[in-house]
Amino acid sequence: MAEIAPRWPERALGAGVVVLALAGVELAVRTGHVNGALVPAPSAVAVRVADIVASGELFAPLGTTLYLLFTAFFLASAVAIVAGLLMGRFDALYNLLEPLVEVLRPLPKPALLPPLILFLGLGDAMKLTVIGLGVFFPVLINTVQGVRGVDPVLVDTGRTFRCGRLALLLRIVLPAALPMILAGMRVALALGLILVVIAEMLAGTGGLGYLIIDMQRTFRVQHMYGWIVILAVLGYVLNAVFLKLEQRAIHWALAKPE
Amino acid sequence: MTDYLRLERISKSFKAGGVETRALDDITLGVAEGEFLAIVGPSGCGKSTLLQIAAALIAPSAGEVRLNGAPVTAPPESMVYLFQQYAKSLFPWRTVLDNVAFAVERRKGMSGAAVRAHSRRFLKMVGLADFADRYPWQLSGGMQQRVAIARALAAEPRVLLMDEPFSSVDALTRLELHGLVLDLWEKQRFTAVLVTHDVDEAVFLADRVAVLSARPSTVVRAIPTDLPRPRDNLATREDPRFLALRHDLLSMLLNRPHG
Repeated sequence: MAEIAPRWPERALGAGVVVLALAGVELAVRTGHVNGALVPAPSAVAVRVADIVASGELFAPLGTTLYLLFTAFFLASAVAIVAGLLMGRFDALYNLLEPLVEVLRPLPKPALLPPLILFLGLGDAMKLTVIGLGVFFPVLINTVQGVRGVDPVLVDTGRTFRCGRLALLLRIVLPAALPMILAGMRVALALGLILVVIAEMLAGTGGLGYLIIDMQRTFRVQHMYGWIVILAVLGYVLNAVFLKLEQRAIHWALAKPE
Repeated sequence: MTDYLRLERISKSFKAGGVETRALDDITLGVAEGEFLAIVGPSGCGKSTLLQIAAALIAPSAGEVRLNGAPVTAPPESMVYLFQQYAKSLFPWRTVLDNVAFAVERRKGMSGAAVRAHSRRFLKMVGLADFADRYPWQLSGGMQQRVAIARALAAEPRVLLMDEPFSSVDALTRLELHGLVLDLWEKQRFTAVLVTHDVDEAVFLADRVAVLSARPSTVVRAIPTDLPRPRDNLATREDPRFLALRHDLLSMLLNRPHG
């Protein structure tokens, strides 16, 4: 089985580097080498974070951010997977839509925030749209590639056992392309988190991104860093959970020797 | 005897880069019900293409496939195609048992328990009962091909089309699989069409061997083997009749005059 997790000595050393870096900052602040008003001591930020969690302050903003992220992520992923399956399977559709995708895909999605605000205002609709657009393309591209990479022998096997078009798509093409699709979704989840933060900073009334910029504007620097730390932890946890689910869904692809 | 499966004046051309290549040229070939036909030919002669046309996996440029008198335009329920690349034709996300179950799990009126029992029966027939819960990629090449054979037969086909199914396993495993396929064929009584470039294999297994020419392919000859059954890996292969057939077929394929 291809397990590439580091062994414990390496893991311990890696954690040591993180601790060392934090200790370095702590020391620099305490000795006055760094202005504590701009970069507070990690220990002070840790206390803030503990405060935010213990007081329950965390939950409403976290809920807002996760609601935006998950709603956009799952809706956009679903649409992208369906579109990708069809584009990957039917060359006519691929040829029709591929140029459009290639024009829209490279555009950094935050550039769409100003026009989207014109159309949709500052509310959730605008935020969900921009996050959804960010999620859509990586999932679409990976799904199309995954589908086009499915071995024709696999599809012919389905046909000899009399699968119709829909059965071929759902029972053979989708599972065979799933490793690629999930890889796209993992990238898309990280992109989605970036976009939800940017959207909230620009037009938020709650949510983690809004709080980070609000704390900065009101000069509550320790709080600002506290919320940044919380966001970092959130990004880490989301990725870790996704990896676990991915491992379950496509254990066969991860364990299979190629 | 009338033909159960009949290829009627089949031609196939491919277009690549504006150039048209004629792969199959006016091939007519019939197989009686329960017969074991082998098709041999030099590599690149289009024998796999012919088999895929028989299975309705690809359409001929001209001609017609008839099964039990009716024209075939889509893969028929009673016909299953066994692929050369067994490793690519098994579903890596399904266990061995679930791979076999694929053949029947969409049958109407068959419960999940019935599907599993049916699949287990066929897995047992190929000697893999103990490997039901493994994944195909955890098995050796020969075992994977057994899974593919079990899946093909689990569909209970009237016709089994085999596309060089023994060409990528080692020599001993190949002999074992020959024995297995003959055994299953005698028990299940399906019509078998085997495409191969291995003359020994064709003579050992088949009732009749059809020889294709190089492209554009035509049927050069179709020779009944007339070897006694059940066939035996040692005795049959040493039979003077076996050696004579092998000699004739090889000299035809190697383009040597008879002698």
